[in-house]
Amino acid sequence: MKNLYLKNAHVVDPASKTDGVKDLWVEDSKFVRTKSEKVDTEYEVLDLTGKTILPGLVDLRCHVRNAVGGSQENIKSVSQAACAGGFTTLLVMPNISPSADNPGSIRYINECASKNAAVNFYLAGALTDNMEGRSLSPIGSLKESGVLAITDCPQSTQNNEIFVKGVEYASMFDLPVIDLPRELSLSKNGSAHDSVVALSMGLGGYPRMAEEIFVQRSITVSKYLDAHIHLSSISSKGSVELINDAKNKGIKITADTTPHHLCLTDEKIRGYHTNFKTHPPLREEEDRESLVSALLDGTIDNICSGHEPHQDHLKKTEYDLAPAGVTSLDTCLSAIYTQLCGKVKNLPYKLAEWLSYNPAKIIKKDRANIQHGSLADFIVIDLNEEWIYSAPDSFSLSSNNPFDGCKLTSMIERTYVGGELVYKKS
Amino acid sequence: MLGLEELDVNEINLILELSKEFKENLSKKQKPSKNLEGKRIVNLFMEPSTRTRVAFEIAAKSLSADVISIASKSSSLTKGESLKDTALNIQALGADAIVIRHSSPGSPLFLSKTIPVPIINAGDGSHEHPSQALLDIFTMQEKLGTLHNKNITILGDILFSRVARSNLWGLQKMGANVTLVGPSTLVPKGFEKMGAIVSHDIEKSLSKADAVMLLRIQHERQSSSHFPSLEEYTRIFGLSIERSALLKKEAIILHPGPINRGVEIDSTLADSKNSVILEQVTNGIAVRMAILYLCTTNSTRK
Repeated sequence: MKNLYLKNAHVVDPASKTDGVKDLWVEDSKFVRTKSEKVDTEYEVLDLTGKTILPGLVDLRCHVRNAVGGSQENIKSVSQAACAGGFTTLLVMPNISPSADNPGSIRYINECASKNAAVNFYLAGALTDNMEGRSLSPIGSLKESGVLAITDCPQSTQNNEIFVKGVEYASMFDLPVIDLPRELSLSKNGSAHDSVVALSMGLGGYPRMAEEIFVQRSITVSKYLDAHIHLSSISSKGSVELINDAKNKGIKITADTTPHHLCLTDEKIRGYHTNFKTHPPLREEEDRESLVSALLDGTIDNICSGHEPHQDHLKKTEYDLAPAGVTSLDTCLSAIYTQLCGKVKNLPYKLAEWLSYNPAKIIKKDRANIQHGSLADFIVIDLNEEWIYSAPDSFSLSSNNPFDGCKLTSMIERTYVGGELVYKKS
Repeated sequence: MLGLEELDVNEINLILELSKEFKENLSKKQKPSKNLEGKRIVNLFMEPSTRTRVAFEIAAKSLSADVISIASKSSSLTKGESLKDTALNIQALGADAIVIRHSSPGSPLFLSKTIPVPIINAGDGSHEHPSQALLDIFTMQEKLGTLHNKNITILGDILFSRVARSNLWGLQKMGANVTLVGPSTLVPKGFEKMGAIVSHDIEKSLSKADAVMLLRIQHERQSSSHFPSLEEYTRIFGLSIERSALLKKEAIILHPGPINRGVEIDSTLADSKNSVILEQVTNGIAVRMAILYLCTTNSTRK
């Protein structure tokens, strides 16, 4: 592994409250304070004038289909897509094959990851057996196998008793429970936000209520059990208000949203384009605006990619029959930057908080900082570069990305994990 | 022909004028015209339908086209073939137009993007049923003259109704005022944003109506939570003989069928002189002839 001497980059690091031009040195996978005093130490010198360095991005919700091989998203392909998007740490949801609901499968998946993943690969273990919401999975054993959180995502446990017991039990192991809040009886035929758009298109509605009722459930459960629950992929203004209220009362709730909910609204689904069928659905402008404000005031802690790859033939079908979810890892940062550039002060610093520092804290992983002695997970970005995203050219094995064909501003040029170059813009 | 939302007044009038010509020819009992001789029309019906399918078949045959009807039970759709693959196969078989009925909203648009064959929407889920709305408008114009400033009341299950949506778009383009009436669970306020007047007061909306269109209560689509019972629905929202007395003398009653006699409409009213229900069926043939003709011969796609 080469030692690195990174010159003249604008370095952004919330952990050390750094936001300015400086030089960095990396030796033996780690950042060091300054150049080594050993005379024979050799450095690869990179002049990064005009470029920005951020700590590596940390994703709290991405989905992978297979552990290895096949034509569906696997650990290798998701890892490459992540590197291209600047993500150096992934928390993968348990609906991978095999399901991460037992220690044997988890060890197998982690073994596959150690061979195939260039990024830090972590699993969230299932809350219930096969994420079916019927009986608790062996949460203690999952913890021993290395999971960092417990969740049934993309499902939400419908049975309140099981959910409560799961949260209570997981909190004993200091594991956060992640919930993508969705009350199913109010949204089971819902393929779109129930606005006038869905009404005129004849699509079944997935109302804000279906999310908000379960947001309130998590708040109440967290309050009574004093347990940490992380709400994933928040999409509605009402949810933001509930979370804000809960945080003001000191309840241990954290929350995230996705790049698509920050950039797009349900107007996009006119024409029945299934690549805008997200999970949860795209909502209205007032929701989108509320999510942006919630990030700025800290009500929402972080942005997850919500990366949900689906094969082409499954997505290219009737809108109501197509699965919900979009790919996102390699467009996440650029899409948000493009959307918020010029509207938010200190945007690179905020992005580092939302996409790296804050999510790392939630899963208690100290891999998102640029300080002496830290493992060198970082990315080099050209914030001014404009490019057209082409989903079929993605490293992801799926191309169901809502930003396909869009002009984006800001491009990841290099991604390093532990001081090693894992992605370089071609 | 995917829906009335995207058609403009001129396009709608063109179809209606041509329908009138075809209707005159039909009433003279002329032999089938040779307009579509040699054309192959495929009826792809993936949801049960009798009258729409038959009306399209008769319309196609009246223009001397060849018609192949594929119903979901007899096709490969039940074997798990995707709509895309079915469409590609039908295209390979040399269809000049596909008439599709499907439970998924937007599926005709999906087909039209998949294959370069004219697609005619014969009902897609709760989205649109343009040929039905056109025959409704045609029938109303025959009876009421211009629809400009006429009050049309559509009564019943609006939420799940493609007929209601297509009529709402079409009628407003013809200048009519549309009132949607029914229980709040089936007539959500959101329809106001589409230009309609939403009401839950049947008496008030009947008295000013020039035409009342009743929609079938579709047991198969509604979960039990939309209204407590058919009995209560009929009592509060059914078109009874007493309520029909509120109607203007010359007001007409329409229904796209099939009728649930005694549920949304009293049986005798369905057969009364105000009822144009059977004329709708006859007009449906002429309107569908016009649609088939324009879609398969005209250079414009719509």
